[in-house]
Amino acid sequence: MMGWRLQRLPSAKPRLAFLARAVSVILALLVAGLVTAAAGFHPFDLGAEVVSSSFGSRFGIEDLGLLLTPLIYTGLAVAVGLRIGAWNIGAEGQFNIGAFCAAGVALFVPGPVWMVLPLMVFGGALGGAAWILVPTLARAYADVSELITTLLLNFVALLLVYYVATGPWLDPSGHALATTARLPVAIPEFWGIVHWGFPVAVAMAMALAILFALTRWGYEIRISGSNPGAARYAGIPVRRHLITVMLMSGAIAGLGGVMEVAGTVGRLQGGISNNYGYLGIMVAVLARAAPLGVLASALLMAVILNGGIILQTQGLTTNTVLAVTGLILLFSAIGDELAHYRVIRTTAQRA
Amino acid sequence: MDGGGAMLDEVDVRHRLGLDPGTPPLVALRGVGKVFPGVIANADVHLEVFPGEIHALLGENGAGKSTLMNVLTGIYQPDSGEIVVAGYPRTFSSPQDAIRAGIGMVHQHFKLVQAFTVAENVHLGWDRTPARVGAAMLEARTAELAARLNLAVRPEATVADLSTGEQQRVEILRVLSRDAKVLILDEPTAVLTPGEAQDLFAALRAFVAQGNAVIFISHKLDEVLEIAHRVTVLRAGRNVATRWASDCTERSLAQMMVGREIVLTDMRTRAPGIAGPGAPVLRLEAVALKGVLQDISLEVRAGEVLGVAGVAGNGQRELCQIMTGLAAPTSGRVLLDGADISRAGPGAVATMGVGHIPEDRLASGVAAGLSITENAVLREYRDRPVSRGPWYSPRAALDLARRIAGAAEVVVPDFAMPVRNLSGGNQQRLVARREMRIARRAIVAAYPSRGLDVGAINMMMRYLTELRDQGVAVVLVSEELEELLNLSDRIAVMFHGRIMGIVPAAAADLDDIGLMMGGQRRDRAA
Repeated sequence: MMGWRLQRLPSAKPRLAFLARAVSVILALLVAGLVTAAAGFHPFDLGAEVVSSSFGSRFGIEDLGLLLTPLIYTGLAVAVGLRIGAWNIGAEGQFNIGAFCAAGVALFVPGPVWMVLPLMVFGGALGGAAWILVPTLARAYADVSELITTLLLNFVALLLVYYVATGPWLDPSGHALATTARLPVAIPEFWGIVHWGFPVAVAMAMALAILFALTRWGYEIRISGSNPGAARYAGIPVRRHLITVMLMSGAIAGLGGVMEVAGTVGRLQGGISNNYGYLGIMVAVLARAAPLGVLASALLMAVILNGGIILQTQGLTTNTVLAVTGLILLFSAIGDELAHYRVIRTTAQRA
Repeated sequence: MDGGGAMLDEVDVRHRLGLDPGTPPLVALRGVGKVFPGVIANADVHLEVFPGEIHALLGENGAGKSTLMNVLTGIYQPDSGEIVVAGYPRTFSSPQDAIRAGIGMVHQHFKLVQAFTVAENVHLGWDRTPARVGAAMLEARTAELAARLNLAVRPEATVADLSTGEQQRVEILRVLSRDAKVLILDEPTAVLTPGEAQDLFAALRAFVAQGNAVIFISHKLDEVLEIAHRVTVLRAGRNVATRWASDCTERSLAQMMVGREIVLTDMRTRAPGIAGPGAPVLRLEAVALKGVLQDISLEVRAGEVLGVAGVAGNGQRELCQIMTGLAAPTSGRVLLDGADISRAGPGAVATMGVGHIPEDRLASGVAAGLSITENAVLREYRDRPVSRGPWYSPRAALDLARRIAGAAEVVVPDFAMPVRNLSGGNQQRLVARREMRIARRAIVAAYPSRGLDVGAINMMMRYLTELRDQGVAVVLVSEELEELLNLSDRIAVMFHGRIMGIVPAAAADLDDIGLMMGGQRRDRAA
């Protein structure tokens, strides 16, 4: 009589889904280890090297913090959009524009630091929001997929930054080839070389978590994202919320760009976004769009990126890192599906 | 069932159609059954269509007409029974198989490529289309076909530019050009003007005069009597009868369509001490919604149940949207307790005390991926204690969800689990209870028992009488005449976006309602 069988649930339990995520990361590292072992390396030594270089010294941890910060911003940007069902693939572009606006303010607006710095932050966030404005309105009023529109604007932003950094805003001192002069105003340091962009990012993740879980507005966003039809039926202004949330998403990515240019790099240069926008998509997906989860998945991603830099010194190519991130996504996708299943005892079924 | 009388004597049929005694039917369905999970769509259906015959297929919505025709055209495989074409049993695994055997269908919603020309549409997916084609050649071939089949079309015209009548001719040409002997038309006149309908009838008569046959699906009884030789009535997936059209009247057809044994459990009678209908609560004044609703005037009184009958898709969905603020009328007014709510919006209308059990629960009643708690508070999250100022309290929400689930008698193992994990019946009970809490003045219940089992249906009906007894104005939209007759004080019948008449349920005549559902005005039917 007693039998077991698998039952597919229409949705996964959060706890099980989280477990599947953790297992998928471990599996991805395991596969990467096996492959590097087959190629004649010692995966445990490499792993130990990555861990000790990242966490074994204060410098390692500071480096990690600098990598982590932009990933939190872009991860949060994508996660916020996902909350209302919008895919912001354009965090990369908004990040660039945020950096562009902040650098512009720093280079060309004279004034005391207490005035210029807030202006940079505000300008960068505004720039990020402006960069997603057209895709937002197109989605809200003409139902144009934001996937394509946000993605395409990335290239425009990237090339714009390349252009100003090598052309009109090129460092006049002649020392640098493809960057602006060092910005006269910087984000103050918080801990070692880690600037205030990091604690602000963490605080923002917490604020967003509270906003989504514990406010009426957050509830309305959840309903709108899950079923716009039900939201309209309940009298929730779906379109207005969509516009607000998407602009917020762009502003957060823009803010990430501000912190990067004025905190980490100090100059505006081509490729300043360093793919953080695209990595943010992965961070958000791994976090299942939960703001606090973004902190964890951004940290994981930062360790992997940092590991790649370290592995390079051991004779592996940076592609190893891409392979590991790819494996994590692959296993997460499989784990997501498997988390839908549960084992049930056939005799224990209720009517 | 009058089985013997239902199957007409075949010799007599051939004789009256002017056929030789041995002529096999062009197509025959013998004992066809089709079961979907939990639903018997067709059971033991017999149908014979002879050369030269226009055979009408009649039945209420959900009677199994579409399933039967989908079986006949190879979209579905029958679970039992057989299809016999010109004397030989056949199985069709696709509509292409069926059309090769000479059976083609024109669906209610045309399947034409709007951006292509008429000639291109006619030649699309046709094995006799030449490998090398040019516009001029396709058009010439189409013109030749049209002339031969006597259907006036313009081969070079783009389909999107054509009227519905013209598009229908293209569809028919498409089917006939593939040498169909049996043409199935699903509610062909629903989209036509009376003049176009007459043109269609002339074309159909010419088609069958050449020894072909037509199966004509319709709700319009007068048309069926005008065009058909014989009529087969389906009810609940089974044959009710096959009759000569000349032996039928609109009244007798309506009776066969809707006249099942209706179990009348009178829920209209109030318990002692409960007042009957009071002052008007919800009033619609000459409401119109562009293209869908026309000139709708009705009022629902406090403590009254107004039933809305009609075949689904005749404007009921839009009527509900208008009454709950989800849509604004293009003209006319909607009044709640005398206040104009035509443009108030769904949130305000709900706040004013109008509940809404929506027609399509998953599309608008719940957010299926969110938790039971989040769905339970959908109507009251703005109010204390769930919200205090801008703050949302998950704990207060859970409390409210527990209360709603308790009242709905739904056992919920985990309120954080997505609502889609609940059965449809339990979802519906939760939605109904949620709406009852806010329905202080009125409730609009659209097909509340659709897809539910008997127990859940009874529960739903009890909820509605409970509200009525509290003095709430109840609007019950349903396809189930039984349900409407049991519960409603008055029944409004909708057809093509209009109210055909409003009758008191106590004195309602089933034939009458059936005729109104088929598009006849009350004054003509009475």
